[in-house]
Formats: sequence, C-alpha cells, structure tokens
Amino acid sequence: MTLSKSQYVRANYQVNATPQLKMLSDDQCENILNGALEVLERTGAEIHSEEALEIFKKGGCWVDGNIVRFPSHLIEWAIRSAPSRIVISNQKGERTLFLEGQNVYYGPGPTNTYTIDPFTGERRRPRKSDTVRAAKVIDALPNISYAMDCGTVMDVTPTLSDVHAFQAMLENTNKPIIHWGFGIDQYQDIIDMAAVVAGGLEALQKNPFILLYSESSPPLRHSAEAIDKAIFAAKNNIPIVYTPCTFAGGVAPATMAATLVIAVADSLVGLVAGQLVRKGSGFVMGGLISTMDMSSTILSYGAAELSLLSAGLTAVARYMKIPMFSTGGCTDSKVIDTQMGLEAAFSILVAGLSGANLIHDCSYMEYGATSSLELMTMDDEIIGMVKRILEGVKVDDEHLALDVINKVGPGGHYLAEDHTMAHFREFWSSSLINRLRYDGWKAEGSKTMGQRVKEKTQDIINNHKPEPKPDHVLREIQAIVDRAEAREANKQ
Amino acid sequence: MSNYYEELSQSIISGQLDRVKSLTQQAIGAGDNPVDIINQGLIPGMSVVGARFKSGQMYVPEVLMSARAMDAGMQLVKPLILTEDIPSAGKVVIGTVKGDLHDIGKNLVSMMLESAGYTVINVGVDAGPEKFLQAVKEHQPGVIGMSALLTTTMLAMKDTIELLKEEGLRDKVKVIIGGAPISQDFADEIGADGFAPDAGSAADLCKKLLA
Repeated sequence: MTLSKSQYVRANYQVNATPQLKMLSDDQCENILNGALEVLERTGAEIHSEEALEIFKKGGCWVDGNIVRFPSHLIEWAIRSAPSRIVISNQKGERTLFLEGQNVYYGPGPTNTYTIDPFTGERRRPRKSDTVRAAKVIDALPNISYAMDCGTVMDVTPTLSDVHAFQAMLENTNKPIIHWGFGIDQYQDIIDMAAVVAGGLEALQKNPFILLYSESSPPLRHSAEAIDKAIFAAKNNIPIVYTPCTFAGGVAPATMAATLVIAVADSLVGLVAGQLVRKGSGFVMGGLISTMDMSSTILSYGAAELSLLSAGLTAVARYMKIPMFSTGGCTDSKVIDTQMGLEAAFSILVAGLSGANLIHDCSYMEYGATSSLELMTMDDEIIGMVKRILEGVKVDDEHLALDVINKVGPGGHYLAEDHTMAHFREFWSSSLINRLRYDGWKAEGSKTMGQRVKEKTQDIINNHKPEPKPDHVLREIQAIVDRAEAREANKQ
Repeated sequence: MSNYYEELSQSIISGQLDRVKSLTQQAIGAGDNPVDIINQGLIPGMSVVGARFKSGQMYVPEVLMSARAMDAGMQLVKPLILTEDIPSAGKVVIGTVKGDLHDIGKNLVSMMLESAGYTVINVGVDAGPEKFLQAVKEHQPGVIGMSALLTTTMLAMKDTIELLKEEGLRDKVKVIIGGAPISQDFADEIGADGFAPDAGSAADLCKKLLA
C-alpha cells in the first residue's frame, strides 16, 4: 500500500543506525596510547615473576632488576599481533559472544567477600550454594550473557574457592564463563574441567566457552600471580581478560587522562607477555577504572567517573582494535534502594553506548564488597531498556509511514492500523517496571520495585531448571575437584 | 612562649609545608622549648585536621598535605630533643602480609597513624611472620598492624599471631588487622585484638588499645 515517496535519488546520505557515543576522538586515543607507550619506555613496570622477566628480556625489553622498560615498537607489534575479534561459545559449543567491533554483552562480577542472601536479606560470607544460586539466576536472565562467580566461596578449602565456584557454575548454567584463579595450579584445574565440558582441550581452544581473568596491581606493578596467569593463558591458547584496577587519585593521578594512561599501560604489560608467548593469543583488555572517594577511601563503583573513564578506556581499546572488558550495573549502595537503581542504570547505559564488548559487575553492591542476585535481576531489566535505546531510530519509508499519516488524517488515531500492528511490538515491554494504573497496582499488592525484584529472584532460584549436563561429564568434573583437594591437602 | 603557635597550627591545617618550616625555625630561633613547639603548635593543628577529616570537612589528600607539613616541622625540632622526650602516642609496626603486594591501604593507615602522633615502622609488602617477629623484637611496638587485600593472603595473618605466641611475645603487643576482605568476625576467629574498617578508625583503634 506504500506509494513510494522516494522518486528522487539521494546523495551523501548518512545513517545513525544506533545512538552515537564516542568519549574520545581518534586523536585523543592516540595521545593516550602514546602516553602509555612513553610511560612503559621511560618509567617501566615492576614485574614480580622470574618467568615473565625472562620472557620480556628475550622479547627485547630492558630489564633492570624487577623493572622492565618496554620499547614502543615491541608494544606496537603486540597490539597488531593480538586478534581484534574473539568468539566465545556457550557450553554447548554454539558460538555466542562475538567480541568484535562494538558488540555489547553484559554479565555479573566475581570475588565479592560478602553476599546479600535474597531470601533472608542477610549480608554474609558467600558459600558454594550461593554460586549455585547465582549460576541459576544467570542462566535464567535473558540479558545476562555470561557467568561470573558472584562471590568468593568461603565454606570450602580456601585455596580452592575458585575451583569449587567453577564447578558450581558448570553444573548450573550453560552460558559462557569468565573465571579467575588463585594461581597456576587452579588455572590448570579450571582448564581441565572446561575441557571435559567442551570435549577435549583442542575443542576448547578452537571454540572456547571460558575466558580466564587476571588482575594486576596498579600503578605499574604486576605480581607473579597476575602476569603468570597471562602467560599461562597464552601457553594454553585460552583467551584472557587482563584487568588492572585503576582508581584516580589513589593508584593513578587525579586527572581522567592520566588515569587512562596508567590503565592502558598496565593492560599493555599483560598484552605483551601473552603475545611474546604465543603470537595471536586471545587478549581482552580491562577493566575496572574509577575514582577513589577522598572521604571514605573506597574505590567507587557508583561514581560518574566510573562511566566516564570506562567509556574513555573503551574508546582507546577500540582504537587499538583490542576487545574490551568494561564495567556497569554496580553501586556503592549497601541495600536494594534508590541509589542502587540510579547508579546501576547510569553505568549500564553509558557502558552500552560506549560499545564495550564485555560489561561486568552487574551484581556488585557496596563498592564491590558485596554481591547481590537481586541487583543482577534488576540490572537484567535495565539492560533490556538500554538495548532498546541502542536499537536507535530507523528512518526509511516504512518507518516514516507518511501514507499512514495521510490515511488517518488530522484528529484520527492509529490504534487499529495494520502499520501499528506491524510495529508496536518494537516498543520495549517491561517485566519488572510497573506501569499499571493506580488501582491495578494496588490490587496487585502495592509492591515496590524492590519487592518485585526479590520475588522474581526467589522464583528463579526456586523454579528455574538449567539444562543438565550428562552424568559422565559431571563425574569427570568432580574427579578434577577431588584431585585438586588431594593436591592442596598435600601442600599442608 | 611565642606567638607562633596559633599560626603554626593554622599552617598545619592548610598544609603549607614551607610556612610550617619557617615558623618552626623562627620559634626555635626565638628560644622556645622544642617540646612546646610540638605540643602547642604542631599537634593541635593536626588534631583539628583529624577531627575535620572524620566529620567529612577535609579529604584524604588534604590530610596528607597537613601530615607532610607536620612531619617537616617535626624534623626540625626532633634533633633538639632527647629521643625519650619526643612526644609519641606509641609505636606501631605495620605491613602487608606474605603473598600480597597491595599497599595503598596500608600506607594510608601508616600516614594516618603518623599524623595522629604514632611512630610507625613500615615493614612493607609481602611480609612473612618472621619479618613481623623481627620488627617486634627490634622495635618493641605497642601495636602491630597487618593488611591484606586477598581472601587467600588474609589467612597469613593467623601465622604471624601463632609465631608471636610461640616466641612468647603475643602478650607484649596488640595485633590489629585490616583490608578489603577483613571483618570483625575474622579478627575474632584468628585471635587479633582489633579490626578497623578504614584508615581513620585505625588510629582510633590504636588509641583505644594502648589506653
């Protein structure tokens, strides 16, 4: 029925298929990258690993005791050598996360030392059963694209918290997993368990469903655990997220640009190590970047600067064509409240607009000290809204609908139009946000957002059944956990 | 008695290192008792800083500027006083435990303690039980403070406490702990004397334990 309007020919027509946010121009990105190169060539980084020092020396760095200075050409080589795209599968081997360009995927965060129990409201130490719950919630929520452990499990052998959390996730979700480990032994356990699920190490390497995760200690300091994990991941050809925790005013200067320089420099140290071990090994740069609150000295997870800096770092990563691990959906609030909602929403929106590939910490409360599955459930809703915004506005003859406007005419309505039928489902529809009229809301119990979030979270935990893995896979995973327990017992 | 003390205190509060130095020098030149310079000029200024920080009127970098100014004044006065006469709230040995390289929090505590008048012996990062033991033997502090950021390294705190027990020194020193994963429950569990959630309250804790 559309009578064509576009009889004319268009020239130089540009489209914003999505909204646009670019925190830094290419020139600014180049400036920050050059700053990081200068820092690494002039100031250098402190490396606390013999193996890493050896690798850097062989690779052409200047090694002076623990201090390594990096020639710029070596770093530039490493940036080019690392893949610009990494594809992560789910645990069934289906290619799921395309970490390339400005594709955006959200997920929760790791290693909180407390968790808020979604049934009792108690803030307490995380247990293995909490990671089981977390994995179920992750599995059920459509906008959560990958799993992280949502808290350091403390009711198991302390040095195997990582291994037990990984088992809990494998048993309760089939989504991809980003996971940390205390050291190389645990990393080996984790890779072995993942290989069982994938059908062998080679299958896992070809089609990884895990990303390993390592944190260095800025400014410019890399512990043996941190850098050795980057080396281990490269040796085993498993992609790694290497993420310094950079906070302005504390471990970086108080200015945003300098904080970006430190974060980029620390990421590059991990990148070079990995590329020297295996050219082309998968590397995702990070990660957590914000300000230190100058009253309480917390690293703020709700600061406006978290979004500002994360979007800046994402721009530099994009400039370097390295996939980016960013942060959002988190808060400094201690309870499920308004502060939580607004901080989570802001950071999810800005991180989404920035085009970061992996956006983590959609579960982090209390400046990262506490995890909350209720926050994750609420974030799922916020991400839904943000994804709708990221769809942008389509402008073409069908969407301009000038014929429909002409047909309905002045004073008419569009409710019964075919065109409306064809398109109204593009509106984002909510599941937790309440848009009932007053009487309807009252009839449903006058519930607050917090109450609805709690009910949904509890319902998932009680009723969601993740697709189970075959018994023999579960048995082999258990055998690896038992092997790890025996090893740690021997160390005592 | 001199007129310098009020201005000296003000200069500490505003963190003006050079001004503190020149006023201290002038007070010394005027023949003031060095202990009075500390007790009536430097420390009152720092007390105001501590109170303002606690009430949220001053921020960490400002406190550290004040602490730096205070230290500059102390360095000028100290050589003029016998060591035992230098006012000190007490001695604290502080370090980050074995296997842990994170030290910004520990250093912050150290600076807060110094600005509250404590003598701080900083044993650095990756400090094993032996290192703490050696420092306790050498310096005989009233308090040792241990810091950890990681859930694995925090377990090393207990080892230091055990070693102090074996050496018969546990009763001679108070043990306090802190760091992101640390809680009062954990302090109780490993037999520490106290836990402070942040740098400001670490100084209060020492004051309480040494009272």
